[in-house]
Amino acid sequence: MSAVFDGAPLTAMQSPQPSHNSISPQELALEIKAFISGVDQTQGRKLSIRDHARCAVRLLRTVPACRGAALEHLRGVYDEYVITFLQDLEGEGDNGVNSSGHSGLEDVIQEIHTVLSEFVRLNPKAWAPLVSAWAVDLLGQLSSKHAGRRGAPHSSSLNELLQLWMSCTATRSLMESYSQCLAAMLAWCPDACVDALLDTSVQHSPHFDWVVAHIGSSFPGTIISRVLACGLKDFCTHGYQGAGSPEMPNQQAPPPAEKSNRVPKIGSVVGILGHLASRHSDSIKKELLRMFQESLCPAQPPSGIGQRDSPLQLRRATVPFLLQLAALSPTLLGAVSAELVESLRPPVLLQLQAQFQGLPREELDNMLGLAVHLISQSPAGGPCVLRFLVDTATPASVIMSGLTPAPHEGVREACDRLLQLLLLHLHKLVYNRPESDDGYPLSSSSPTSSSFPPRVIPFLEELRGHVRELCAETLKLERKRHLWLHQLLCLLSVYGGASVATEALCQLLTLAKTPEELALASQLHTPLSTSLPGLLPAAVTCCVAQIHTQSLGSKELGQLLNNLASTVQSQEEEGKGGSAGGMSAAQSSMAAQVGAAVSSHLHDFCPLLLHGDPAVSQAAARLLSCSQLPRAASPAQLLVISRAAVAHFFLALRLRDEGNGKAGGGGREAVSCSIRLLSRLAAFSPLTLKSVLQQLVEGALHRGHADLFGGQQEETGGDTSLTPDLGASLLDINCKFGTTVNFAGSVWSVFHAGVIGKGLKPPHTPSQPAPDRVTENQQTLFAVVVQCCSSSGSGINSSNGAASSSSARYHHSDALFEEPAPINAEAAKVVAVTLVECICPDVANGELAWPPEEHARTTVERDIHIRRCFEGNPVLFHLLSVVAAGRPALCYCSAVLRGLLATLLAHWESSRELAALDSPWHLQASCLLVSCMGEGQLLPPVLSNVHEIFPHLTPFEVRLLLLAVWEYMRGNSPMPQKFTFSAEKGLFYRDFTRDGDLSRYLAPLYSVLHKNIDRLGHLSWRFQL
Amino acid sequence: MSDIRHSLLRRDALSAAKEVLYHLDIYFSSQLQNTAVPVVDKGTIELVEEFIFHVPKDRNVQPKRMNSLQELQLLEIMCSYFQEQSKDAVRQIIFSALFSPQGNKADDNRMAMLGKLVSMAVAVCRVPILECAASWLQRSHAIYCVRLAKVLVDDYCSLVPGSVQTLQQIFSASPRFCCQFITAVTALYDLSSEDLIPPFDLLEMVVTWIFDDPRLTLITFLNTPISANLPLGCLDLTPLLGLVRWCVKSPLAYKRNIKPSLSNGHMGKLPREMPDSEGGDRDSKPLYSKLHLSVLQVLMMLQAHLTEKNLFGRLGLLLFENVAQLVEELARLVSELNPLNATKETELSLDRLAQALQVAMAAGALLCAREDLRSLCSRLPHNNLLQLVMSGPVQQPPHSPYQPGFYPHIHTPPLGYPPRPASAAHSTLPTHTAHPAHNTHSPHPTQTFLPGMNFPYRPIR
Repeated sequence: MSAVFDGAPLTAMQSPQPSHNSISPQELALEIKAFISGVDQTQGRKLSIRDHARCAVRLLRTVPACRGAALEHLRGVYDEYVITFLQDLEGEGDNGVNSSGHSGLEDVIQEIHTVLSEFVRLNPKAWAPLVSAWAVDLLGQLSSKHAGRRGAPHSSSLNELLQLWMSCTATRSLMESYSQCLAAMLAWCPDACVDALLDTSVQHSPHFDWVVAHIGSSFPGTIISRVLACGLKDFCTHGYQGAGSPEMPNQQAPPPAEKSNRVPKIGSVVGILGHLASRHSDSIKKELLRMFQESLCPAQPPSGIGQRDSPLQLRRATVPFLLQLAALSPTLLGAVSAELVESLRPPVLLQLQAQFQGLPREELDNMLGLAVHLISQSPAGGPCVLRFLVDTATPASVIMSGLTPAPHEGVREACDRLLQLLLLHLHKLVYNRPESDDGYPLSSSSPTSSSFPPRVIPFLEELRGHVRELCAETLKLERKRHLWLHQLLCLLSVYGGASVATEALCQLLTLAKTPEELALASQLHTPLSTSLPGLLPAAVTCCVAQIHTQSLGSKELGQLLNNLASTVQSQEEEGKGGSAGGMSAAQSSMAAQVGAAVSSHLHDFCPLLLHGDPAVSQAAARLLSCSQLPRAASPAQLLVISRAAVAHFFLALRLRDEGNGKAGGGGREAVSCSIRLLSRLAAFSPLTLKSVLQQLVEGALHRGHADLFGGQQEETGGDTSLTPDLGASLLDINCKFGTTVNFAGSVWSVFHAGVIGKGLKPPHTPSQPAPDRVTENQQTLFAVVVQCCSSSGSGINSSNGAASSSSARYHHSDALFEEPAPINAEAAKVVAVTLVECICPDVANGELAWPPEEHARTTVERDIHIRRCFEGNPVLFHLLSVVAAGRPALCYCSAVLRGLLATLLAHWESSRELAALDSPWHLQASCLLVSCMGEGQLLPPVLSNVHEIFPHLTPFEVRLLLLAVWEYMRGNSPMPQKFTFSAEKGLFYRDFTRDGDLSRYLAPLYSVLHKNIDRLGHLSWRFQL
Repeated sequence: MSDIRHSLLRRDALSAAKEVLYHLDIYFSSQLQNTAVPVVDKGTIELVEEFIFHVPKDRNVQPKRMNSLQELQLLEIMCSYFQEQSKDAVRQIIFSALFSPQGNKADDNRMAMLGKLVSMAVAVCRVPILECAASWLQRSHAIYCVRLAKVLVDDYCSLVPGSVQTLQQIFSASPRFCCQFITAVTALYDLSSEDLIPPFDLLEMVVTWIFDDPRLTLITFLNTPISANLPLGCLDLTPLLGLVRWCVKSPLAYKRNIKPSLSNGHMGKLPREMPDSEGGDRDSKPLYSKLHLSVLQVLMMLQAHLTEKNLFGRLGLLLFENVAQLVEELARLVSELNPLNATKETELSLDRLAQALQVAMAAGALLCAREDLRSLCSRLPHNNLLQLVMSGPVQQPPHSPYQPGFYPHIHTPPLGYPPRPASAAHSTLPTHTAHPAHNTHSPHPTQTFLPGMNFPYRPIR
């Protein structure tokens, strides 16, 4: 200020003096006459617009009394200029001819502007109110008068309007004058000038907006705060009559001016702020928040611009005012909602509560309704608001006393109420969407309803993206909040249709950790099931998709699988429970649907059996074991499943072994799941049966698994991880030796004792697992194989119906060892063939008939290999016994048996021990072999009993007896044709009576008996024919 | 009357107003033919209010408003009319019919129109209107006068830069108006708040006028027959009291207004700069000093005029109540200001007060007993000169003739009291009086008068 007055005014004030002094009063009188009449008094001719305007300016400078008239006249000049300007513009647009006339008013306008701005500069206090009122009124008049013209753009395109008017000299100079006045006036009477602006804005509503926008962007801070203050004052004095009408939520856009007699200023406040929001949203936001905060602190007087007249009333009105403002302008709502919610800390809430305690109930209801409406319409920040509401409304408990102090009870109740109203409101909105003409509000398939889009609810629209968080929050099962959230989730699902519902369900299935939490999923499904038909399959598909994209962590994956399994199982339990079933029909239908859906995606789950995380693989096994295999499954899928299932079985076994020391429950559980799965698979079809058995046997004999069953790991020829790579190559060896090397047996023989020239192989010291564990594993395997083999019978015979019943029997009775069903011959044959292939591929499909014993010399090496196999895999005998049980499958093992027997013969022949007991393995092998052959009815009953006396004999005697066995075998070849099926027992039997005289094979037996009659007397009855 | 009204109702605003003027002219001209003192009857006033000031008479008639242009035309017509009307009496009666305040709601419009008319008359120098306005200012209540003065001051001293020259030239055209204007202006700007400090331009103009011709202030007094029945609440006969107030209060009032900014730490610079716009960077102190001198000169002159009119000692132009009020205001102002910060200003104010009182009493403008004055001034802080005046050596008998030898100590060295001829003292007073007094009793360094001289009067403590 002082700078302005330092020197400039002196010169400025002196400058008009000469011109002023030169005009005598008489001349002035003439001038006034001329101005009034528009005729030059001395020359008697009419004044041009220019001269007339100049005359007015002169009077303005010299005769204060003419001020009003001169300014009024100048309005006409500006108007004239604008008309010419627009005409030129239109002319340009029409024919491209630029008349470039502008009637020479440009310099006059300039002159006027100079004079006015000089006045304002010299004496702002006196001139600024005058000029600003004049300018703003003239601007309003000009812009609304010429709004309809062709040259002027439509009033809705603010930017074009702004461009047009700012390119017009007249309006621009007016605008500059106004800005100048405003800048001067803001210091001492800001209210007055903004009031005038607002009034004019209301009067010339849409056409004047560009002025407000321009001014606003020139003085953003002031204008925003002043505009808000004015609006608040107006709102406060004129009450809330238009505000917060309860029916507002039902209208798309609440009419800002219902009552025509008084246009509330809030409308123009909203308009102005709306314009400014694009550029100055930050300041607006800050200002709104400041208002809010100021309204809450009664202790300190309002800083800065004082609203001291009735602060209490103003403060009370602030929050309703802000709400109203937000209701009228989505932009403002979006700008402030997030921060507003942020600022609602407990102390603030308390203050709010205190402030509103005095309000009448109606008003409070209005405000609540408005708030609910706002929340449901707010396009952003929905989750924040929701979290805040839920957090605040949740009753405090001892357990969850976090860092934040528990909110005041009154505040909590208010929030509770607000939340419930919100839910109610959303419920109305969701179910009353104008789509329901055909009775199916949500079926997107109805062609008639798709013609017009359903109404958008921004709040829910935004929450669509937060389904996951919502679900997670719901699953916390915290007191009341999960009820609210669950309700909200339902609404959201109905609103969002199938996609949201699917996602929500999928999330619930994924995230639920306990049965109670899982129950939420079915609770969600129940109301939705009527409106969304294909919900569950879609949800399962979604889950599968999640699995495929690997977006889940292993923990969640396991949870998901377990949850699915539990859901499916609940159905089975119900089936089992029968009359006792406490489940609702809806729940069971859900279980059935899930079961069906899971079955159709079974092959998608099977890779998970081999998942790195045991929990996941176990869960997968559980799920697979309790869901049905799809009828339509292709062989390839079945094979994949069975392969995975078997692999998982061995994994589970190993897991059980490892976990036994710590907490074996998981492993045990996994194994039992796996067993269930395998038996179910085996029962499904011959194909799966074969595949499962094959895999099982191969797996059991696989080097990697040998140790599980007590076998030594065979010489680790290919196991380069244990022995350092010596650079030996089979190919090299083969090239070197060519065809001279005898490959009988196995190629591995080349490397029996190590690579030649490299010294002995380092001795292999296998880590022998504990014998009881080995036994357990063997028994498990045995049980599995037996179960597979025996279940297959029914599976084959009654392919469709019985499968489920049999599997059900296994599940509920867990009757693994109770009453074994007869071993299916086909299954046993599969096992047999696989065994042979595994033990010695050379002899597979070989001759079943036995040669004379001497011929064994030609197959020594192969026999040794076979024996080693048996030595390495004790479980082989178990498998053999299974095969034996499934007569006549043992016939197919003939070659293997023969080889084993040959080596045993050789051993006993060369043995120089005193008793057979001295070579325990061979003794045991001999016993098992003979008993197996007896079981498989390769040997007649008497001959098969010989193994009972082996332990009491010398090696030579054992050899004699084994030779007798050999002889018998040679004489009576093990042919499957010799077996006949007995329908009543379901087994094959061999009629030994047709095989000729047995006694000649028994001679060595009897002589041995005789020789050792002192020790074997008690056993001799076993060998009576 | 009513038929006129009906015909007027049909016309548009401007022509109706013109018609009313015409009607008034005819009406009063004819009345003046018949009676010496015409009366303005109620019907006429209603007509004027309805059709010139546009106050609706009954609710159902929508008042016609003139826009600014039409208003200007009307003003121009009025100007011409008053200019061309040769009969002074008609002019006066019509002016008063138009613009005498009636105490109703038409007064706002009336005052607005009057303000514009006078302002315009000033601009185009219409002496008859100014004369009429001077009479109006004399007759009307002070608040209306003040409003008119405010309009003129706004127009010429603040709104239109440089136009104060126009106003200043009125001095030659209508001194009577100037005198009334000064009275109104001093009543308006009583220095009681920041807003009521006269704008610099105005102050300068007034000081120039009075300094050029001190008799200006007495014109109304001299040209008016002194009658006891002055209208109630109207302006004083002379602006003397207001001017004395300006002189006395100005040091403290200006000091008060710059005090807030002083506390901001701009000690050295700001005392010269007023925070408000008027007089901003121009120092008004010399003007007040000049004004004070002029006022004292006028007071001195007054003695002769009073004597001439044989009113000496009978008519106090400065009323004691007004002086008491001034002293009151001064006391409040002094106590309001921190005395420590404003000793210089307080001293100056009190000096001026003492001088004015002394001269006024001597000239017979202030009629009061010294005791009253003494008790009145006891509230003020101590001031040597005031003390001296209060304990004046001589009690003047109320009706004794003029004795010029009584106050030689003011304007002569205080060595003794050589009686001087009254005529000589009178003639030399304008040059002598103020300066020695000022210099003797204010602690100015320029004091060269008898520095080592023993002061014969002891201050009474």
